[in-house]
Amino acid sequence: MSNKMKCADFRTDAEITWCPGCPNHMILESCRRALVSLKKQGIKNFAMTTGIGCHGKIFDYLDIAGVYGLHGRAIPTAVGMKLGDPKLNVIAFAGDGDTYSEGMEHFIHACKNNPDMTLIVHDNRVFSLTTGQATPTSQKGYRTKAEPSGALKPINPIHIALASGATFVARCNARDIDHTQNVIEEAIKHEGFSFVEILQDCLIFNTEVNTRDDKMYKIKAMGYKKALDTAQEFTYDGEKIPIGIFYKEKREVLK
Amino acid sequence: MVLQRFKYMLFILKIKMRLNILIGGKAGQGINAVSQITAKTLIKQGYFVFNYRDYPSIIRGGHNFNVLSISDKKISSHESRMDGIIALDENTKKIHKAELKKEGFIIDYNEFKHLGINLNVALSGALVKILGLDKNAFFNEVKKSIGKSALKAAQQGYDKHEQIYKLKKLNNKLDYMNGSQAVAQGAINSRIDLYFAYPMTPATGVLHELAAKQSKLSFKVHQPESEIAVANMALGASFTGAKTMVGTSGGGFDLMGEALSFQGMSELPLVVYLASRAGPGTGVPTYSMQSDLDIALRSGHGEFPRVVIAPGDPKEAVEKANECFYLANKFDSLAVLLSDKHIAESEFSITRKINKILPVRSCRRYKASSYEHDKYGITTEDPKLAVKNADARVKRYDAMKKECKKFEMIKIHGKKNSKNLIIGWGSTKGAILDAIEDLDYKFLQVLYMKPLSDDIKKEMLKAKKIILIENNVTGQLGRLIREKTGIKISNRILKYNSRPFTSDELRERLR
Repeated sequence: MSNKMKCADFRTDAEITWCPGCPNHMILESCRRALVSLKKQGIKNFAMTTGIGCHGKIFDYLDIAGVYGLHGRAIPTAVGMKLGDPKLNVIAFAGDGDTYSEGMEHFIHACKNNPDMTLIVHDNRVFSLTTGQATPTSQKGYRTKAEPSGALKPINPIHIALASGATFVARCNARDIDHTQNVIEEAIKHEGFSFVEILQDCLIFNTEVNTRDDKMYKIKAMGYKKALDTAQEFTYDGEKIPIGIFYKEKREVLK
Repeated sequence: MVLQRFKYMLFILKIKMRLNILIGGKAGQGINAVSQITAKTLIKQGYFVFNYRDYPSIIRGGHNFNVLSISDKKISSHESRMDGIIALDENTKKIHKAELKKEGFIIDYNEFKHLGINLNVALSGALVKILGLDKNAFFNEVKKSIGKSALKAAQQGYDKHEQIYKLKKLNNKLDYMNGSQAVAQGAINSRIDLYFAYPMTPATGVLHELAAKQSKLSFKVHQPESEIAVANMALGASFTGAKTMVGTSGGGFDLMGEALSFQGMSELPLVVYLASRAGPGTGVPTYSMQSDLDIALRSGHGEFPRVVIAPGDPKEAVEKANECFYLANKFDSLAVLLSDKHIAESEFSITRKINKILPVRSCRRYKASSYEHDKYGITTEDPKLAVKNADARVKRYDAMKKECKKFEMIKIHGKKNSKNLIIGWGSTKGAILDAIEDLDYKFLQVLYMKPLSDDIKKEMLKAKKIILIENNVTGQLGRLIREKTGIKISNRILKYNSRPFTSDELRERLR
């Protein structure tokens, strides 16, 4: 497809159809600013891929090359792009249901194999585009039309990523645009598999987990064992929420 | 001595010499080494061979056997009656004795029990002596494929038996190749950039073949976590302009279904090698059947273009793999190369000929999408655009159909003027060709399963008697032909015990 998008700084002229006030707007802005900043630093050749869900719409709103993939499959599509053209800086956008339900096999193997790419998970802890079912990070007891008796215990993706060997693990708060921008820049610069989970509210479904900013506190990259402990502080059921880079490591990448 | 002279005379009188040797033993004993060394010696001496491999899903133990079929004329099948048995264990004698012809010979592992690991070399030595093949050619082959250390065993085997046949050197220039090597060669000829596969019998041969050659020929092979990852990675790679192929068998192909449909919308070129085996489910995993034509034609939701091409032997597999790459990349389409265990793992002698290679175009994309999209790649739900895009997909298929006419979509074999028409496809080709050799039959081999050639109906209308031959339960090609031509073929020879046809059993049924 040719490029009609003449809007500056990675914007497109596609109509944005996220709900008004949705933190996806903020994630888009953080990413866009990160790309502008990286471009100024001489980093280019960006390519993206997305899963299917509310997050996926970002494909139409960012003017970079890419593939709007299948639900759960943003990671393998991204790995394929990187193997096809190793010069690309590939960013995969995915949702929480997308990555941790249908795509979990890819998530764990990306952590293990360390392809040089960035995964950004828009984690709103609910399947929104299909009207509110529970995802693997929905809180225990979350009642939905599909599970009237409530969801079971959630998983901890940060812990899974660390245990599976991810070489860059971070969590962001969608509302904190500057911090998210910085973490995304770091993630893209990191050589290897960078996992950035962005906590975001959904204003329509599963709103009981929203606005937890007061529980969040900033962290800096730490040693592996400490990172594992820190990851346990937030088990997707309340408590303190560490935000920032948990862990960074240099390791052989998939080629 | 009397027997020996008798057989020698027979060869001189007979138009076509044909021998079938069964080599059996436990998995891990090295029966493949016996047929490999002997077959390569035979090939160098100008003989045509076909080697059938029969093994259960067991790593060590059980019962495996090969049938090495030998001739002075072109053959591409094995027979059910044996001229000789090479037994690496007691079981082989017990199971196969009934298949041995009256004057047939047995080479028994008990004769060389002390040899241990080199037992199979000694058995090949004995076989080479019995066949009356050139000793030096055999010794060179042993040196090359096993090493000098095995020569003593080769000599011991050679000395142990009396010569029965006299296979003199012939002038044929031949190569020895299985279907997996052929598919890999076709991909290499097409200048493949990336091959993705998850291990699954009988497609794994191509994965191993390409993996071994990747660094020398500068393409990449990657084994991801599942066939779902395989297909999606391939589309990601294809997006960058890389020429990409994936390989699998039925179960893995099912897992790829959604991605194949994604191909239809994104128009990222993709070649899929589908080597089928006996299903449904895990089925009879190390055996062969032609039961996956239906999924090759229809897998993936929605309506989108594709070609499905089914070669009938390794030589065709080299060419048709190249045609798959050519068509997929020219028409941004899905191309399925449909084969099965019988072609993938059987070894064929093929005449040396340099194929014409079609150039494969490569194109990098800007925005590709699994959503319906506008011309810039931006998501749309506009009904007018939905119709426009659907019509464009049909148009693309029409253009591809036209292009396919440049290639051999069908082949006519046998007696060209016969009113008796056999229709078949894929791996049954070899057994059919050998079965109808001097019978009054014309054989129409279908290579392009989609699009289907218009010439099929013309040939059917010319025939008095039509027989459908397939290695499946429901006659899938028969149904496809009926859908396309309105003609039902009620005379069918279908075999579905998960074993391929032998040429003699088919001949009996056609006579």
